[in-house]
Amino acid sequence: MNFLTFTEWLAGAPEWFEGFPKWIQQFVFQIYQTFIYADRWKLFADGLQITFIVTIGALFLGIIIGLLIAIIRTSHDLSSKKPNFILRVFNTISNIYLTIIRGTPMMVQLLIMGFVIMVPETKFDTILCGIITLGINSGAYVAEIARSGIMSIDKGQMEAGRSLGFSYVSTMWHFIIPQAIKNILPALGNEMITLLKDTSLVSVIALRDVTKQAQNIVSITYQAYVPYISLAIIYLILVVGLTKLLGIFERRLRNSDH
Amino acid sequence: MITNETLIKVENLQKKFGETEVLKGINIEIKRGEVIVIIGPSGCGKSTFLRTLNLLEQPTGGSILFEGTDITDPKTNINIHRQKIGMVFQQFNLFPHMTVLKNMTIAPTKLLKMSKSEAEETAMKLLEKVGLADRANSYPSQLSGGQKQRVAIVRALTMQPDVMLFDEPTSALDPEMVGEVLEVMKSLAQDGMTMAIVTHEMGFAKEVADKIIFIDQGVIMEEGTPEEIFSNPKCPRLKDFLSKVL
Repeated sequence: MNFLTFTEWLAGAPEWFEGFPKWIQQFVFQIYQTFIYADRWKLFADGLQITFIVTIGALFLGIIIGLLIAIIRTSHDLSSKKPNFILRVFNTISNIYLTIIRGTPMMVQLLIMGFVIMVPETKFDTILCGIITLGINSGAYVAEIARSGIMSIDKGQMEAGRSLGFSYVSTMWHFIIPQAIKNILPALGNEMITLLKDTSLVSVIALRDVTKQAQNIVSITYQAYVPYISLAIIYLILVVGLTKLLGIFERRLRNSDH
Repeated sequence: MITNETLIKVENLQKKFGETEVLKGINIEIKRGEVIVIIGPSGCGKSTFLRTLNLLEQPTGGSILFEGTDITDPKTNINIHRQKIGMVFQQFNLFPHMTVLKNMTIAPTKLLKMSKSEAEETAMKLLEKVGLADRANSYPSQLSGGQKQRVAIVRALTMQPDVMLFDEPTSALDPEMVGEVLEVMKSLAQDGMTMAIVTHEMGFAKEVADKIIFIDQGVIMEEGTPEEIFSNPKCPRLKDFLSKVL
């Protein structure tokens, strides 16, 4: 049995509860229905799991794609001589990628990936599809953030690294990227928060993330108030937690600026 | 200290930025142990010339033989040769996210595969020489300009270079800090280091240089010993330049 009416529920409630005003009774009933009845909190827990997996997966994919694109674009734009053929090809591909991803809605990208390109069947494939779509999307934004970070580093740092005998790539790795990351951390944090919230869109490819689960509960109970407000509070808690984490990380990195 | 061995041989070196010709065929030979000071009006190409010597600027013509290898040849692995060419910049260019010690050990440990303890020992010895051993664990932002530049010089020395290039090393310093940096460079010259220095410090040039080169409009207008250049300049542009700076 999935559906419980208010009168049924009230009949089962302890006697002292009957003296409470009607609206409090209604409110507690809704909370009961949303979380406790038929172990519905488990739906939220399952949904959260999906949300976490997709967020973390997409985050890593996005950062890797973003850094790669940023390095290609800055190497191309800043190279003193005419960039070589391979670099020019990569740069063109990067530009096309950025234009397409930033020029179309995330929802549309999910629909295309989910129903045209990947068409996942198993649950695992669907999660993978979600991660890849969101990662590719996030990568485009991370790329521009990372590019601004790399460009913000004085070109003297590159010259200093190169003049000691480091290759272009190791100069990037040891000297430019560590400083760039420190500079872009606030913007990157912003992108992470956006990504976390954007995972709520994966329900369109039938992934049961926490948003989808809240919708499912509403479709059973026909009461939207508590599930959706709770959903908002869940996201809020996640975002506040993430912000705190980023703050700690940022302070740690800043230790070298005295 | 000058030997007969040619360390760097520059032939018909040219550099264009787009349509602008900055270097119009420079020929010069630098012997091991020689100290060369490059002077000239601003915008004459002297910094560009110095920066082509380790290919921070890619020349558009001519050749640079360093220890017998043509480093302008695209097939040459420039990274190997740069290890032997130390460079000191006007803006110091220390790595701000690393301590002084780390600034000095990263290159020898990563590139020469020196052990960490050995690299730190060498670094400390060098820091002691320039009187900055107590700042080993400071970050660059905690140092004065003069201290930063002294660290930059010894950082380049950790790679045991065969030649040191100085690109206006005292131009960004407060006047009271110029002396301490020039002192370090002077003692380096006395130790027999081959040096190519772009500077506006004429007193220093007079005292330390084995040879002075006057560059103007992308060519070497005159070269000679400090004596010849300062007491008996021949070309009118040099005379004009010296009358403004001395």
